[in-house]
Amino acid sequence: MKVVLLTKAAVPNVTAVRIDPKTGTLVREGVPLMINPWDRDAAEFALRLKDRYGGTVMALSMAPPAGKDALESLMGMGVDEAVLVSDRVYAGADTLATAYTLAKAIEKFAPDFDVVVAGEETTDSTTAHVGAQVASWLGIPYIYYAIDAEVNGRSLLVRRYLEDEGLIETYEIDMPVLVSVQKGSQVPRDISLVRKLEAKGRVKTFSNSDLGLPAECVGLRGSPTIVAKVFEAKLPQRKGELFEGPPDEAARWLAAKLREVGVV
Amino acid sequence: MSQQNICPEWPEIRREEYRGVYVYAEHDGNSLKDVSLELIGKARQLAVDLDGAEVAAIIIGGTDAMARELVETGADRVIRIVGEGLETYNPVRYSMAIAQVLDKYRPEIVLIGGTKRGRELAAYIANTLKTGITADCTELEIDKASRDLIAIRPTFGGNVLAGIRCPQRRPQMASVRPGVFPKPSRDPTRRGEVISERVDVQDGRMRLVAVERKVERDVADLPPVEKADVVVVGGRGLGSADGFHLLVELARALNGTIGASLMAVRAGWAPHTRQVGQTGKTIRPRVYIGVGVSGAVQHIVGMLESKVIIAINTDRNAPIFRYVDYGVVGDYKEIIPRLIELVKAAPKPTPTEKQPV
Ligand SMILES: Cc1cc2nc3c(=O)[nH]c(=O)nc-3n(C[C@H](O)[C@H](O)[C@H](O)COP(=O)(O)OP(=O)(O)OC[C@H]3O[C@@H](n4cnc5c(N)ncnc54)[C@H](O)[C@@H]3O)c2cc1C
Ligand SMILES: Nc1ncnc2c1ncn2[C@@H]1O[C@H](COP(=O)(O)O)[C@@H](O)[C@H]1O
Repeated sequence: MKVVLLTKAAVPNVTAVRIDPKTGTLVREGVPLMINPWDRDAAEFALRLKDRYGGTVMALSMAPPAGKDALESLMGMGVDEAVLVSDRVYAGADTLATAYTLAKAIEKFAPDFDVVVAGEETTDSTTAHVGAQVASWLGIPYIYYAIDAEVNGRSLLVRRYLEDEGLIETYEIDMPVLVSVQKGSQVPRDISLVRKLEAKGRVKTFSNSDLGLPAECVGLRGSPTIVAKVFEAKLPQRKGELFEGPPDEAARWLAAKLREVGVV
Repeated sequence: MSQQNICPEWPEIRREEYRGVYVYAEHDGNSLKDVSLELIGKARQLAVDLDGAEVAAIIIGGTDAMARELVETGADRVIRIVGEGLETYNPVRYSMAIAQVLDKYRPEIVLIGGTKRGRELAAYIANTLKTGITADCTELEIDKASRDLIAIRPTFGGNVLAGIRCPQRRPQMASVRPGVFPKPSRDPTRRGEVISERVDVQDGRMRLVAVERKVERDVADLPPVEKADVVVVGGRGLGSADGFHLLVELARALNGTIGASLMAVRAGWAPHTRQVGQTGKTIRPRVYIGVGVSGAVQHIVGMLESKVIIAINTDRNAPIFRYVDYGVVGDYKEIIPRLIELVKAAPKPTPTEKQPV
């Protein structure tokens, strides 16, 4: 079977973001890039399909050239082929334009795919949009929050977990299908450094001159949404009283505060 | 803007044909999801800034009682979608059914609750209509001059807020997590129209074959984290599941409940349903007490609107102290047992004696 793995290969490590103590603003410079962590769950899910049913896994990412490293890491995990679509005209894409570009790339580089596997969401934009939107552009059925899957003839039996309802549902879905994988549901296998080294130079990079997509459908121009403003969250004023002292006194101080507030 | 500048995949639309604020009302067969009612409340506010636009709810199936509740909460109109294949939830059929109805009624704004199912449907619907959608908004505003929705959401891992607009396309879509907006009260005198809308979405490509209940073991028999006046939240700093038992005792003594940081959930000390933060629940209790929680932004965004914020942490430089009303620097293991004694010894306040915060 032919599996396409969607991965956002270069997201800022948002936990490394610091606040400038002098200005109180966000320091974005120097924030290291990394693979979207939830996409490693997706990679494990895709590779397990390959382990059990044979075939190949092709990783696909729309990212700046820096995304190459993450794709090599995925090949180190066992992904067979990696495609990076990268072009200045793709910059500023919202999820609709991102999904359009990815869907067109799938049609071009893996027209005979059976399953597209996506991560649940990215850690920088956390929309969980791209999976469903790729399915919509491709005109295929889709399912979110998958925890495992097995092939049953021409369909895929997917178990998925709805955390907020505490339900596990099983769907039988005709292939081709897009499956988005519940974050944290897999134990991603290690990256083999040997295999990662072998992957050097094997990531195929394509620009829009290869894909030939209309400029008005990609990047900022192909995006119905625009970021109108970015600002730091305004924090409500707080009392900010700190107590430091022996535990007995600390407990008494807190109890007094709880009484003031009216819950004791 | 002339059509030649627009992606040919996007159908031509006329913005001025799109009017009204619509909410997709999710239910589980028995009752409406709270978030749907929260969004009806928000839709009413947005309608004011849109010269009194109509507020409507779209519901698949549902009952007469649900339609009535939607009207009494603020909907002027309820559109009940009926059709073969919609008896049970199915992402493709549900998305297509909702998209068809939106295409017919042409609202300018569509709000969807950011439940797991809501998130699954929202982006597919937006893509079907070739319009923009903003996920997990924490505030929604109208720019009156342009009638554009300004959808505000945390971005960059919750570190900053972005105001997102969709100037060219309609409807403008947004999803909002449960608990972000307050649930309005019902007004039994409100009247509205209920319409039945038949759609045809024959799509046999996916079938639900089994449903099982997976119950995550809860730490204690306490109210849900979003439904208590006092929430004691444990973080990785507790060091063990035993630490949580101590917090349970404190929560009981305070008539409150228990919450957890992502790290505490990861450690298996508390179920997912109790996670507070960007990828968990948004809570706004009278009192939040964070114990062994460092105060990462992704956590803070889920509790920022608590009336009083209290933290106990061994590290005086822990970020959470930037957000507190009352902070105690120290080891919870030494402080909480004593605090529990003091709370238990105190005369219980009757609700009328409670002072306003
Ligand atoms: C996209 C994204 C989404 C996220 N969503 C969420 C979310 O929804 N909710 C969430 O909580 N996190 C979320 N996170 C994770 C978040 O960034 C932090 O990693 C997490 O909140 C830290 O959990 P913690 O405070 O329990 O642990 P830590 O950061 O490890 O903090 C432990 C604290 O305990 C203190 N401590 C240690 N011993 C003691 C003691 N004996 N007594 C008192 N204090 C002690 C330490 O000083 C420390 O401050 C998200 C991250 C990302 C990237
Ligand atoms: N630029 C991209 N290239 C490839 N896959 C992507 C990209 N952006 C998002 N995805 C996929 O879509 C999933 C959901 O992303 P998001 O909608 O941004 O939360 C991710 O986990 C990836 O699998």
